[in-house]
Amino acid sequence: MNSRLSGRRVLVVEDEIIVSWLLEDMLADLGCAVVGPAACVEKALAMIDGEAIDAAVLDVNLNGQPSYPLADALAARGVPFVFSTGYATNSLLDGYRTVPTLQKPFHRSELADALATVLDGIVKAT
Amino acid sequence: MSAEKSKSEEQKVAESEVESFRKDLGPFVVAAETTRMAMVFTDAKETDNPIIFANDSFLSLAGYEREEVLGRSFDYLMAQPADREEVARVAAAFADGAQSDLEMCFRRKDGGTFWAATFVTPVRDEAGGVVQHFASFVDISKHKRAEDRLQFLLDELNHRTQNTLATVQAIAVQTLRGATDKEVVDAFEGRILALSKAHSLLGRGNWEAVSLRDVIDQILRPFGLKDRRVTRFSVEGDDVRLQPKAALTLALVFHELATNSAKHGALSGAALGKIDIAWQVEPAPRGDRMRLRWHESGGPPVTRPRRKGFGSRLIEGGLARDLDGEVHLDYERAGLVCRIVMPVPRVVVGEP
Repeated sequence: MNSRLSGRRVLVVEDEIIVSWLLEDMLADLGCAVVGPAACVEKALAMIDGEAIDAAVLDVNLNGQPSYPLADALAARGVPFVFSTGYATNSLLDGYRTVPTLQKPFHRSELADALATVLDGIVKAT
Repeated sequence: MSAEKSKSEEQKVAESEVESFRKDLGPFVVAAETTRMAMVFTDAKETDNPIIFANDSFLSLAGYEREEVLGRSFDYLMAQPADREEVARVAAAFADGAQSDLEMCFRRKDGGTFWAATFVTPVRDEAGGVVQHFASFVDISKHKRAEDRLQFLLDELNHRTQNTLATVQAIAVQTLRGATDKEVVDAFEGRILALSKAHSLLGRGNWEAVSLRDVIDQILRPFGLKDRRVTRFSVEGDDVRLQPKAALTLALVFHELATNSAKHGALSGAALGKIDIAWQVEPAPRGDRMRLRWHESGGPPVTRPRRKGFGSRLIEGGLARDLDGEVHLDYERAGLVCRIVMPVPRVVVGEP
């Protein structure tokens, strides 16, 4: 459990089902409620529109589709997010490089730190 | 209006200079005009290095007619929009009066581009002043394309490796959860993550060489290396570039040492211990040799473990065999000491 994260509703966007299960377990260990997982951009967009979300973990590459539209949709709603990727972090598009990025595979402590960082950022900004 | 009349003054001057070349140097000019090596001469007396001579090979490489380039600045040939760094490199090549070898991207008349290994050299008059620049071009577009393709494949391979390791982690954690001790699951997961961090470093360095400091940073960060509240580590030594295999093995070794320390040593429980990591590189008959010491202090009293686990096996056996090095683990009461001696590539002074 992590007091900064407990009770937060976190959207999981990940196209590898086995990896998304691990992500769900990690988030549950941290005391978060999981929204999703969504494996593609359309499903994730529907969840962003229809669900209450405090933060999100976005796989950058969803079966060849980049998840940047999701990043834009979340940013427009003021919802903080982190990326996760198996690519080198410097392969992110311009404009998205400052987003905290988890290099796959990652430990639950790295996930906790990244989420706490973006959630703290929002708390400070408001 | 005839083509003759549309020629600029500069072009006329340029052509008259070539004419004087031709008179002075006869057969050399014919050779320059007809060789397969693409080449141009520029006038060094003008600030923007206008082209005063372009041979047939250059014209066919770049797709221009002769009158379209004569009198034009050399920069005009560069791919647009030209990279500012590239413009600066070209300016430096023309300014410093020495020979320069550049890989540059140029534009063709049809809007396409080509890459050329470009050799720029000053031409001096009898008094030693630079009067012209000579530039020759070898088309390396095909190599560049192959290079890009290779980079793409390498990025894909790295990405797939990382994703595969993420899947292994996920399968392992979910398979073992509940069936075995949490400690076993954590140990397995930690090792997979250490391996993947080393892979990721290697991927970023295109599998050539990685820095020892980067390996230490990546592996020890989860153990509080960068923690600003408490200083638990000191890391001292001139950076060393490691071969991929050495980097992978050392990453696993540092991970085992740190995990062990978190369980029994300086990083364990409420202990306010410290780990000093220091190394020196010394010349050896073949290449250089590194002596590294991992020294723990301030932890609970150390006792030699009763049996060897995977960790100490990897530290003592793996390093010695994989790295052609020597490793000594001393279970000193005040703190574990691990000494590593291993060959490293010779550092070339001036290399980044």
